[in-house]
Amino acid sequence: MKIALVSDIHANLEALQSVLKDIAKEGAETVHFLGDAVGYGCSPNECVALLKKMCDIRLLGNHDYAAMGLEATTSFNQVAQTSMEWTLANLSRKTVSLLADFEMQASFEDYHLVHASPDYPEDWNYILNQEQAAEQFEHFKEKVCFVGHSHLPMIFSVDGDGQVESAVKSELAFEENKKYIVNVGSVGQPRDNDARACYVILDTVEKCLRYRRVEYDITAVQKKMRQAMLPDFLVERIAVGR
Amino acid sequence: MPEIVVKYEDKIIERVVSEKKRLTVGRTSDNDIVLDNRGVSRKHAQIEFNDNAAVIIDNESLNGTFVNNRRVTEEILRDGDTITIGKFSLEYYTETRRPETGSGLDGTMVLNTKKQKELVARDRSEKEIVKRMGGNVLMGEDNTDFSEFRLDRDVTTIGKAKFVHVHAKGFLLSGIQAKIVKENDQTAIINLGRKGKTRVNGEEIDRQVLKNGDIIQVGKSVYRFLEGNR
Repeated sequence: MKIALVSDIHANLEALQSVLKDIAKEGAETVHFLGDAVGYGCSPNECVALLKKMCDIRLLGNHDYAAMGLEATTSFNQVAQTSMEWTLANLSRKTVSLLADFEMQASFEDYHLVHASPDYPEDWNYILNQEQAAEQFEHFKEKVCFVGHSHLPMIFSVDGDGQVESAVKSELAFEENKKYIVNVGSVGQPRDNDARACYVILDTVEKCLRYRRVEYDITAVQKKMRQAMLPDFLVERIAVGR
Repeated sequence: MPEIVVKYEDKIIERVVSEKKRLTVGRTSDNDIVLDNRGVSRKHAQIEFNDNAAVIIDNESLNGTFVNNRRVTEEILRDGDTITIGKFSLEYYTETRRPETGSGLDGTMVLNTKKQKELVARDRSEKEIVKRMGGNVLMGEDNTDFSEFRLDRDVTTIGKAKFVHVHAKGFLLSGIQAKIVKENDQTAIINLGRKGKTRVNGEEIDRQVLKNGDIIQVGKSVYRFLEGNR
């Protein structure tokens, strides 16, 4: 069975719509969402409604959490704070009540899902290197933990001897005696120098995954973001994928 | 007929409707209106009714009698005036505001001193709890997994999800149904999830500033809010 894993939409509706079309084309029956539906972009209400309709598992990210007023934005950088103020002002009551049913972490079969890290999901810690990954493997019992949060598609693995490796690959077949942490990248604001929307298709029968990159109308999104008076830095970064 | 609504810290204890020309107010049981608490003198004050007017007279009480927050010795009462004696307030109305029920033979409502005593006793124990817990407290009243929960975070989440701070039970409850937030020196509860699942003192709310003693219902779970700094 093919399952699509999408994360970090960040209110980029056009990117999400293009990814959902690609998922249908690829024949994935199920979509799970790993958090950060809102923040940065200008279509938070539309994105949350679409995720609610299309995704089976829906997780909360730190931007979703902040948008519900559950956390101060003091840990956010200046641009993220400005966009969060915009989000707070533009989020509908209906959207808040939909986000109120998103989960912090979930699992199915031999797979675990969390936005940031499995040890303390509400602390929103980044897993960016082998050292940080090494601390996380004991915090999930499943074979693979899928995460988002950093917007950087990458794969960490640990073998039976505790040897941790990291890799950036476009596909991966799971090996018998390894555990994995897989960052599925970002749909709405990629940061790996590739502006195309990023997500993962997991094949639970073949025990493998592959990354998909999807083009979408970036210019149209930028126009909407400028009209919404969002910071220039955010408008420009989606075109360069940084 | 005039009516006196007796409250203890904003909770109505009794409504007094009387044909008597004179009602005495004090701590001892021989008064018409018994206010059983320290701070109230034995024969604290009296209210006298003439044809069209009512007058409150303070009997040189130790802690005083106040009308609309002004200390008085003798004062003509107007409709809606609030008399404060210790922690009690007596609201005066020229006409009975709702049909009399349970009135005694002479038309005086029997003051339920047992209820008063319970309220006072609970108030004392609640004060001890907030002192011990060192701040605002949620008391678990029904369908809760704690008896006392200290509200020491800026934001406390309540709902059905595993990761919330305060777990609530109930059909169709959202994962994060509500949040309790500290805002300046106030504490407020805000409904985040499905509409109609968060109530304060029986009323559905979207956002409500909490007062000491408020009853919060989230789904089937019931909590009492105790304010730390009163």
